[in-house]
Amino acid sequence: MSAALDLSLREQAAAIAAGEVDAAELLEATLARIEERNPALNAVVETFPERSREMLAAAPAGPLHGVPVVIKDEWPLPWRAQRFGAAEMLAEAAPGESGPYRALRDAGAVIVGVGNMHELGASSTGNASVYGPAHNPWNTERCPGGSSSGPAAAVAARLVAGSVGADGIGSIRYPAAYCGLTGLKPTFGRAAMAGHHMAGVSTTIVSGALCADAADCRLLDSALFGEELKAGAASGLRIGVIAGEVSEDVDPAVREACEGAIEDLRRETGGEVRTVEIPELAVATLATILIANSESLGGITPERLNNLDPELSPLARGLLKFRVLLPAIATVKSHQIRTIARRALAELFEDVDVLACPTVPAVAPPLEAPVVELPSGAMTADEANVRGGALANLTGIPAISVPVGSADGLPVALQLQAAWGRDELLLDAAEAIERANGRRWVEAVPPPARGAEPLEA
Amino acid sequence: MEATDSPDEFIEAGLASFGIEADEIDLAVIRAAHQLFWPPILELVALDTSQVPAEPNPDLSQAPPR
Repeated sequence: MSAALDLSLREQAAAIAAGEVDAAELLEATLARIEERNPALNAVVETFPERSREMLAAAPAGPLHGVPVVIKDEWPLPWRAQRFGAAEMLAEAAPGESGPYRALRDAGAVIVGVGNMHELGASSTGNASVYGPAHNPWNTERCPGGSSSGPAAAVAARLVAGSVGADGIGSIRYPAAYCGLTGLKPTFGRAAMAGHHMAGVSTTIVSGALCADAADCRLLDSALFGEELKAGAASGLRIGVIAGEVSEDVDPAVREACEGAIEDLRRETGGEVRTVEIPELAVATLATILIANSESLGGITPERLNNLDPELSPLARGLLKFRVLLPAIATVKSHQIRTIARRALAELFEDVDVLACPTVPAVAPPLEAPVVELPSGAMTADEANVRGGALANLTGIPAISVPVGSADGLPVALQLQAAWGRDELLLDAAEAIERANGRRWVEAVPPPARGAEPLEA
Repeated sequence: MEATDSPDEFIEAGLASFGIEADEIDLAVIRAAHQLFWPPILELVALDTSQVPAEPNPDLSQAPPR
């Protein structure tokens, strides 16, 4: 059964459908692998074997029939309320059928565990959580990325072949980049969102898949979208490389790998590359943070702030209180910046098909001190990462992180963004990059998944 | 309450105006966040966006209307 565990998501689904793999045996083997590998990773914070077995027993003959997946601690399940990685999440949480749960169930998938996440979804690093941090399978002293830290680490270490995360400001793409996975942030509103504690309030958060490659993301995201994401050719792709610090204030090794991948994409699709400017990109990042902040204030009352759970981290406590001091005029301006950015992108996407830049400007930093060294100097990983991650959440466009290289033994990733509703094009483009590099980076696996250099718990 | 531009006074006065208690650790975090966010917030607020009305209830699943 070990061989089946290491199959891709689509291969597991096909093997089960063909009767070559027994889904019940795969489930038990997956649970055993989680037990074996997870202690060193803390990627999965809870399993519920009986619930998983019940889910399998009732699973319809859908496209993911019998395939084990992990879901982020941001989505309620019928038997478990989400904790949002925190001792207290300042919003109502209760067990229930979230949209992603229903989508997975209806596709026949089996949820085998809940993935760790950064406390309150508030960082790109994954180095803080009520469960303790998740660890990057490529180097357990490095950040797995956040906030979907556990879903990413679980797939990278091949505990499962696919997981469901959430992306409010880059939270699928950062961990995909740090862990060497493919992660799609869907167009706002396309993927299942019901049951999220911010559903109907947030204008930035979406659900989405994290998998080894684009074809697996296509399969899992099709379930989340409730429609088949058809494959296309991505020929003659017009690629716009985003000018400025998001592409230039980048670790040299990351920059070289990303430039190589952009050239790969151009060559593979017979396309063209040009440099493009996005007006007010820097202020768009701040605007995204301020809008997301204002949308999360609903449950934050002085009384709750004065009675926070003592297990909440000091950083989270202070930042929650800081939020109430942000001026409303800045939020109003942020919505105007959103309008400017959306109009600019609509115009830009008449001339280019995809926008390209590194997903993150440096490889995964140490868990203990998540600081990155860039040409402009040292800065926190969060400050550096949000530069490239926020635009898609501000404007609603889809974005994908694609593994394209390695530096210091850690994955390097390219981000592609496209116009609203062109999620399929991003998957096509990611597959073109995979073809161009011989699938070298999507097939690279970290030590625990190679069966070598076992991790110490 | 007197208006003030001093971050220390502004932060503590602001929290007090909402009835929010803060210990020294909270205040240290808030001051650090203030130092990081306040300068760009001032730049944002100073931007002339008078010609750009915000989209009312924008449909973020689509491009903005022309």
